[in-house]
Amino acid sequence: MVRNILCALALAGAASPLAAAPLNVRVVDASGHPVRDAVVTLYPAGAAARPARGGGRYVVAQQSLQFRPFLTVVPVGADVSFPNLDPTKHHVYSFSAAKKFELKLFAKDQSRTVHFDKAGVVALGCNIHDQMSAFIVVTDSAWTARTNAQGIASFGDAPSAPARLTVWHPYLRAPGGMIQQAVAPAQRSLSFQVRLRPPPAMAMTDY
Amino acid sequence: MSCVVRRLRVRGAIPLGCALAALWAMPARAETGTHIFTRDAFELSGDVRLVAADGEPSWVNGGFGKLRSGSDSDLRIRPQLGNLNLVWKPQFTWSLGAVVAGSLQGGERTEGGLSQAYLIFRPMRSSKLALSGRAGLMWPPVSLEHEGADWHVKDSITPSAINSWIGEEVRPVAAEATLAASVGQHKLRVTAALMAANDTSGTLLTFRGWALHDRTTLAFNRQPLPPLDGDVAGYQASFTHPLLDVGTGFGHHPGYYAKFAWQPPAPVRFELFRYDNGADPEVVNMDLEWGWRTRFNDIGIVADLGSGAELKAQALQGRTKMGFPDNGRRWVDNRFRAGYVLLTRPFGSIRATARVEAFGTRNHGSDVDSEYDEHGWSAMLAAKRDWRHFTGLVELLHVWSDNPSREHVEEPFRQAQTQLQAEVRMHW
Repeated sequence: MVRNILCALALAGAASPLAAAPLNVRVVDASGHPVRDAVVTLYPAGAAARPARGGGRYVVAQQSLQFRPFLTVVPVGADVSFPNLDPTKHHVYSFSAAKKFELKLFAKDQSRTVHFDKAGVVALGCNIHDQMSAFIVVTDSAWTARTNAQGIASFGDAPSAPARLTVWHPYLRAPGGMIQQAVAPAQRSLSFQVRLRPPPAMAMTDY
Repeated sequence: MSCVVRRLRVRGAIPLGCALAALWAMPARAETGTHIFTRDAFELSGDVRLVAADGEPSWVNGGFGKLRSGSDSDLRIRPQLGNLNLVWKPQFTWSLGAVVAGSLQGGERTEGGLSQAYLIFRPMRSSKLALSGRAGLMWPPVSLEHEGADWHVKDSITPSAINSWIGEEVRPVAAEATLAASVGQHKLRVTAALMAANDTSGTLLTFRGWALHDRTTLAFNRQPLPPLDGDVAGYQASFTHPLLDVGTGFGHHPGYYAKFAWQPPAPVRFELFRYDNGADPEVVNMDLEWGWRTRFNDIGIVADLGSGAELKAQALQGRTKMGFPDNGRRWVDNRFRAGYVLLTRPFGSIRATARVEAFGTRNHGSDVDSEYDEHGWSAMLAAKRDWRHFTGLVELLHVWSDNPSREHVEEPFRQAQTQLQAEVRMHW
C-alpha cells in the first residue's frame, strides 16, 4: 500500500517541474531505540503539494480475535474491506472523526467494505472483543510512509520546497499522537526523538 | 431440605427459562445477529491428567486435605478425568446473548451439573462509554486466574486458594451492570450487582479452611465438610450447599457485590472488589444449613512486564459470622485472608508460571474459636504449551498448613502435601 503511494508519488513527480531529492526521516524513542510503524507524512507548501492517489483496495482482517494488520495507511478515497476470518462474529466500529461506522460481521469469511473519504486517523475496535484494536491512517499527501525496523521512513523524490512534516504513532505521547516540524527546501534528513507510552496490553473484560 | 432445594431449582431456573423463551421467540436469521444452534454457539472442552500426590486424604472425600487428590501419606499415582465442559453460547440479537455451561468433574468424586447460566446484554457502546449487563447464575468477576465461559484456569492446572474458594462458595444468582469509560488515557470500569442464593458462603472455609483445586461447585450440588467436633455437629449439617437461599423467600435478604477497575496509561491494571452476601446468620433450614453473613474485599493487580511476561497478584480479606450471639459473640466469627503473587513468561513455545501464596483464618466465635484457626502457604511451578486444539500442562504444587481441627480425627494438626500433575487439555 505504501508502495502504491510511493508509485503515485513517482509518477506525479516525473511530471513535476520542481526539483526532487531523497528525504530520510528517522524516529527513535527516548532511549534512542528505533521506532517502527510511525507514520511520516510530508506536506510540501504551495504548488509542490500533491494529494495521495485515491482509490485502491485494502484489507483489515479479523483473525484469531485480532485485527490484522494492526496499522494500515491508505489514501483518501480508499476502500477497505473487513473480512471476518474467525469462527466467531465481530462487531467492528470506529468513533473517530475521520470515519464513524459500525459493521456487523456475523459469519466466517463474510466481509464488508468501508469507503474512507476524509484524511485522519481511524481507531478500530470490536464491540464484542475488547482486546481487539487497530488503526487506519487515511492520508491526503502523496508523501506518506511508515518507519521500518530501523525507524527510518524514506521518500525517494521529496520536492525541494518548504514543507511541513508530521510523525504519528498510536502510542506517541503528544496531542492526537502526532508531532510536526517545518522542513526547509534543502533539508534532506530529519531525526525525531519521541516519547512513547506502553501499549495497553490488557483488555478489561470480565466475561 | 428437599423443599428448599426444590424451591431454588424453580427460582434458579428463571434465568435459564428466560434464555430458552428468548431462544424460541427469536427468528433464526443471521442478519439480525441470531446465532443459536450453529456450530459456533457450542464449545466443548475437557482434560485428562495423571496425578501423583502424597499427604492426607482430600477434602473431596470429607477429609482436611487441601488438594483435589489425596493419599494416606504414601505417594499415589492415578490417571483421572479432570473436567469436561459443554458450553452453549447462543446469541439472540447483536446485543443479547447467553451462556449456559454444564460440567462433569472427575477424580476422587465424579459429579456433573450446571456450572453457569446467565444472560448477557451488551449494546453498542458510545464513543466514551460502554454499558453491559449480566443476569443469572454466574461467578462474580474476582478471579485473575480464570478465563472463558468454561472458567478454566489460564496459566496452570490449580488456581490459588483465593480463586479455588471463589469456585467453591462464591457463585450467586445475580443481576449485574457494568459501565466502562475512557477518561483521557485512563480506562475505568465499574461493576455493581444485586445477588441472592449464596447464603451459606463461608461454611466450607470455616470448617475445612482454604484449599487449592480446580473443582467448582455445581448448581444444587453439595460439598462435604470435614468431621465436626461434638458440639458443632449438633447444630450444623455435615455438608453445605453453597448455592442456597436459606432465608424465607428467594432474595429476601439480597446481597451485593461491586468492583472498580482502573487501567492507567501504563501496562498495568488495578482492581478492587467488595462482596456482602447479606445473609441472616440466625436463619437455619430443616437440614441444619445456616445463613452465613460473609463479607470480603479483594484487591488485584495485573502488570505486563514486556516480552510476554506478566505479573498477577491478589489479596483477599473477609469475615463470616453464623449463629446466635452468646456473651457478645456469635457461635462462629471467622476472619479469613489470603494472598498470592504469580509470575508467568514464555520461553520459546513454552510458558512457565510460578506462584507463591499464604493463607489463614482466625476464629473468635463463642463455639468455633482458635481450635479451627489455620495458617498455611503454598508454592507452585507450571509449564504450558499450546497446540491448535490441545494444551499440555505440567504442574508441581506443594502446600503446607497447620489446623488444630485435624486433631478431631486424630490426625497431626500440621500437614504438608506435594502434588505433581501432567494434563492434556482439549478445546473445540
